[in-house]
Amino acid sequence: MSEGGKEPGMSLGRFLAREKPDIHALTQARDTRGLIALLDDRNFDVQWRAARALGTMGAEATPSLIHALNHLSINTRLGAIEALGAIKDPRSTGPLAALLASGESAELRWAAALALGEIGEKAGIRHLAKSLHDEDRYVRYGAAKALEQLGWQPENDGEKAYYLLALQDWDGTKRIGKAATGAIISLLKEKHSATRARMVELLGSIGGPDATKACEFVLRDPDGSVRWHAVLASKKCGIATARLPVGLSKRKKSGPSPFGSALLNFFFLGLGYNYMGKWWGFLIFMSYMTLIVLAQMELGPFMPFVIAYPITALFATQTYVMAKREAEMAG
Amino acid sequence: MKLFDRSVPKKPDIGALKARNDSAGLIAVLRSGDFDLRTEAADALGALGPAAMDALVKALKKRDRDTRLGIIEALIRIRDPRAIPALIETLKDDSSEVRWETAIALGEIGDPQAIGPLVQGLRDHDKYVRYGAAFALARIGWKPENDGEKAFFFAGMQEWKAVQMIGKPAIPALSHILSDRDSNVRQKVIEILGEIGDPDATPALIRSLGDESSDVRWKAVLSSPKCGINLMHLPRGLSRRPRMTKNPLVAGFLNFMLPGLGYGYLGKWWGIMIFQIDITATVWIFKYWGETNTYSTLFPIYVLLALHAYYIATKMQEPPI
Repeated sequence: MSEGGKEPGMSLGRFLAREKPDIHALTQARDTRGLIALLDDRNFDVQWRAARALGTMGAEATPSLIHALNHLSINTRLGAIEALGAIKDPRSTGPLAALLASGESAELRWAAALALGEIGEKAGIRHLAKSLHDEDRYVRYGAAKALEQLGWQPENDGEKAYYLLALQDWDGTKRIGKAATGAIISLLKEKHSATRARMVELLGSIGGPDATKACEFVLRDPDGSVRWHAVLASKKCGIATARLPVGLSKRKKSGPSPFGSALLNFFFLGLGYNYMGKWWGFLIFMSYMTLIVLAQMELGPFMPFVIAYPITALFATQTYVMAKREAEMAG
Repeated sequence: MKLFDRSVPKKPDIGALKARNDSAGLIAVLRSGDFDLRTEAADALGALGPAAMDALVKALKKRDRDTRLGIIEALIRIRDPRAIPALIETLKDDSSEVRWETAIALGEIGDPQAIGPLVQGLRDHDKYVRYGAAFALARIGWKPENDGEKAFFFAGMQEWKAVQMIGKPAIPALSHILSDRDSNVRQKVIEILGEIGDPDATPALIRSLGDESSDVRWKAVLSSPKCGINLMHLPRGLSRRPRMTKNPLVAGFLNFMLPGLGYGYLGKWWGIMIFQIDITATVWIFKYWGETNTYSTLFPIYVLLALHAYYIATKMQEPPI
């Protein structure tokens, strides 16, 4: 490559090794737009410093930051929320509450909840209390922490249970007793199996008719460890031991269907194994297809299948038996 | 393993090899695929005593991991301090099992010159090696000189309560152990950092917000406020986590050029089936209808498949935080 100053290699090199943006200068120049643009910088440190700098710019940056809440980039939106939380301008309460109630990603709702706590406006309380019921544990935790900052007190034991569960305070929830059952049951739909297992434990220690029904429901949980916790808690939940195997057998069987695996192996030998999670299924499938194509060259398009299907039927039977056995072993 | 078996006699007579003092023959058996045979060979080498030392130390440089493990086992039995320099070198082995076994050997031989390297072993990235080093140091009678060393020692022993009791001086050790590959260890470390509750843990906790394990990230979130980290900074920290998103353009392009592989890229197991069906269909249409008809028939289908892959990639949800 030549050493001239204008060849493409140089400009690419300059692009790749570009200097870090001068955040201090941008802050001095009150360049809100420039700083917002840096919230999506590929350098995490730059993002971090830009968000912090925006947080020091005071209420004058609020309108631009509220506008940035609709940006396409999630990093820009997270940075804007962070800065709004630091500025504490009451004008941002409404847009952040709207974001919290929206169907946006959990991390945006979480950040919005935390920012509402930082801003400290009582108007945020209503929205945050609702978010204690959110399906995501980060949002619930953020809402509980924000409510704590706002000095909120639960009005009844039911609300208190949601609040304590959001803070992962299991002992506190247990102390509430039967009034916490509703909140605990609502968390049985949690995505994280460890939380569901914890809920079953709590139900077992609290007991009561609602807990019995809920424990029965959890016996059908897709996760084996949660089902096991349900079995352990069942006695305290008031479920007769003799009913446990029946309850457990009602669960939706996970994993590949034996019939599906067999059918696939009948028509596309090898793919049934692959469907069952055997990596070598592809190998068999590709070999089978190659053989079929080669045979088709000699015997025409249909004859190879006439020969192949009785053979694949045998494989399909074997696959059915194997898949059935594996499903039984998986429990 | 069967391949290796061919390099040694079918059923090596360990007793005869031992009787002949044939250390080279016994070392060769250490490569056998038969675990029991390897154990017998290692025992026999150990029984040869200091006479086998030179051959054993020399063979410690062999590439085969099982051979090195067997030799260290024999050296444990011989307990000759002349093996220490070679074992200290082996403490830097690439295999974590070899490093672990070496740490155990150094502890069994019990020579104080191994203390320095074993203290370094407490900083290993593998929990087994750290555990072995801590046990070996305890066996030699080593006592930590300060709280930092004590923290490494107790962390190696998996005595987490004791690490927590040390408090702030344990933070560098805990931060170091955060590089362990086992996410359960990382979770435990994060929990303890939270219990210690000192702002010095901030860099370690912020780094853990980007951890590949969702359980570690969640523990880091719960521990952060205990260490005085403003919760408001956490969502941004968490945004550094590895994201499992698929590029819709790549999925669409792949499905257009190699129909079915776009689905494969999106993790759909049946993508390969579509790929193979397309190849078969292309061959047959080409044969009977000719080139122009093949392209004019299949291209619109490829466009549809590309659009479909693009569409499902955009609709694919990211896994929970």
